[in-house]
Amino acid sequence: MPSPSDSPAILVTGATGLVGASVLREALERDAGLRALALVRTWESGSALRRSLGDIGRRVCPVLGDVRTPALGLDASLRRQLRGRIGHLVHCAADICFGRTLEQARSVNTAGTAHALELAAELGPQCRFVHVSTAFVAGRSVGSIPEGRSTGVHGFVNAYEQSKHEAEELVRASSRPFVILRPSTIVWDGRSGAVTQVNVVHRALWMYFGGLVPMLPGDERTPLDAVPADWVARAVCRLGLDPQFAGRTFHLCAGGAAPSLRALFDVTDEVLRTDPQFRRRGVCRPEVVDLATYRLFERSVLEIGEPKLVRIVRGLATFIEQMTLPKTFETRGVEAVLAEPAPPVLAYWPRMLAHLVSTHWAGAREMQVAA
Amino acid sequence: MSAGLSRIAYAFPRGRATLAELAARGQLSTAPDTLGRFGFEQVRVAIDETPYGLALDAARTVLERVDPESIDLLLWAGMPSAAAFQAPGARGRSVLGTLDRFKFPGTRLQSELGLLRASTFSVGELACASLFGALRVARSLIASEGLRRVLCVASEFFPEEAGREALFNCTSDAACALLLDAGAERNRIVAQAQVTKGYYWDCEGSREEIVASYFPTARHVVTEVLEQAGWAPRDVTWVVPHNVSLRSWEVLLGLLRLPRARLFERNIARNGHTLVGDNFINLADAIESGDIRPGDRLLLFSYGFGAHWSALAMEA
Repeated sequence: MPSPSDSPAILVTGATGLVGASVLREALERDAGLRALALVRTWESGSALRRSLGDIGRRVCPVLGDVRTPALGLDASLRRQLRGRIGHLVHCAADICFGRTLEQARSVNTAGTAHALELAAELGPQCRFVHVSTAFVAGRSVGSIPEGRSTGVHGFVNAYEQSKHEAEELVRASSRPFVILRPSTIVWDGRSGAVTQVNVVHRALWMYFGGLVPMLPGDERTPLDAVPADWVARAVCRLGLDPQFAGRTFHLCAGGAAPSLRALFDVTDEVLRTDPQFRRRGVCRPEVVDLATYRLFERSVLEIGEPKLVRIVRGLATFIEQMTLPKTFETRGVEAVLAEPAPPVLAYWPRMLAHLVSTHWAGAREMQVAA
Repeated sequence: MSAGLSRIAYAFPRGRATLAELAARGQLSTAPDTLGRFGFEQVRVAIDETPYGLALDAARTVLERVDPESIDLLLWAGMPSAAAFQAPGARGRSVLGTLDRFKFPGTRLQSELGLLRASTFSVGELACASLFGALRVARSLIASEGLRRVLCVASEFFPEEAGREALFNCTSDAACALLLDAGAERNRIVAQAQVTKGYYWDCEGSREEIVASYFPTARHVVTEVLEQAGWAPRDVTWVVPHNVSLRSWEVLLGLLRLPRARLFERNIARNGHTLVGDNFINLADAIESGDIRPGDRLLLFSYGFGAHWSALAMEA
């Protein structure tokens, strides 16, 4: 726990998640004097987090809480103790499952942000709010997506997007000094050379590997934005912890350098074909079709009721419409500040695939069972 | 040497059964209203006919006013062995003796039709793509051995005990005969392509993978045949289908970016999916009805369990 004599600490929510854990590590490594409080749901996860950080984990103090409850579940005495001692509340916690109802998504993503903002206010005027959002608050918007405020007028593909948009609105409406950081899809961790958290992209690739994705809606020219976790962590620390960027919103995205779906398919096919099992199955790359054709296929699968295919189309249904909404996230703000732009996706995509193949998509299989 | 289909004939059994009747007999595994939405209405069901008997009818029709001795080759692409001689009720009850196993429908057909010059053999393991395979062999032998006229015959009955559905498609019994003539100008075969993926040999064990692989592989083989023909998709006047579900055709046409109006679809509802010859039965009907006219560019595609994706580009 930080003492009154310490320099201000940071409080990180979602500290055991993909972004939170990476940000925590990066922040502690950048500032040898920094101390951090990590909001965790169980003591076991807090201990595991400290162990995973090695020596720097000794500067981490896990605090038990839950973003779904007021003041993040921190009791009044702890809050009093922390008043004036937290320099940044880095809010990374989120429910990233696209299949949630709006009510479920809001309970973590929107209400959780409201609770975090209330706590930040209680912790004192020195406490700045670093809000880790998502580039997909852009929802159904297409074209060039500015780094500023998202209006939400075009609607959203899923409850995750909407609840994160609503969370941003709360942040903007608060009196806290804030920075909003919007990563795109995180698919890889360059630091560990591994996929540290399996998401819908990996799961879709696993279905492709299994020959179970005959088609996707959209256009092969559609850019597919992705970023690695370690770069996001560096960007969050650089932009979020520097007071000069208060009030700004940044896209942590590949932006104009995002490859097209066709380019990604080309590389994916090339890498997967090096696997003898994949070649033996003679899997064709998924066809890219108009949304009406895809919907017809989707409806047919639901009507015939083949269990595995039904699970797959239902899983894809939570985000697949984004493929038909081509967008390029503007990154001028980030590029003007960071010396290091997001790494080119195609530079690490083959390594990511090789990792997935070598680990037999373990995480994606678990997601499939859970779906 | 180019070749074309100078004559096409087919034969159906007398029996028909609606989806409701099939469901009442327990011969469907999918709900009849679902199959109805997929474009099926009824199927053709053999009563006392035999596959061989229907094949003989179709072959006789195709050879009307044709000199039997002008046939250089007879290719049988239907049910193998003596099973072709059995009517539905008899199948499964008789045990074939050693010599019975060599009672072949192709050679019997050669004899009964008086095809005295025609060498005869069978093309097998292609399921619903059997006649595509037979035409491929025939064209190849026309080109390499100088044959002038090849008769291709196929006849298949769906096993009575197996029901009337194969992976969401309602199945019919039928026979079909094709006469392929070297140098024929009508129904000229412009290009042909086939992809075989033996990984899917176990149809029941791979049903979901087959459903998933069907569409992109179909698109692939169609693209290949159109490229060989030098046609763009928009050049295709008619898509002459195998009679799998209309829904699957709608999806495939979406992949091919072809309008549904180009699909000759009317036989899907009234004939169901025969294990042999859908495309050629449809071709014959479309020519007869005047829908297909000389010079039309035709795309024929069929999938055969096992697994084979076959496509033909033809000029009517």
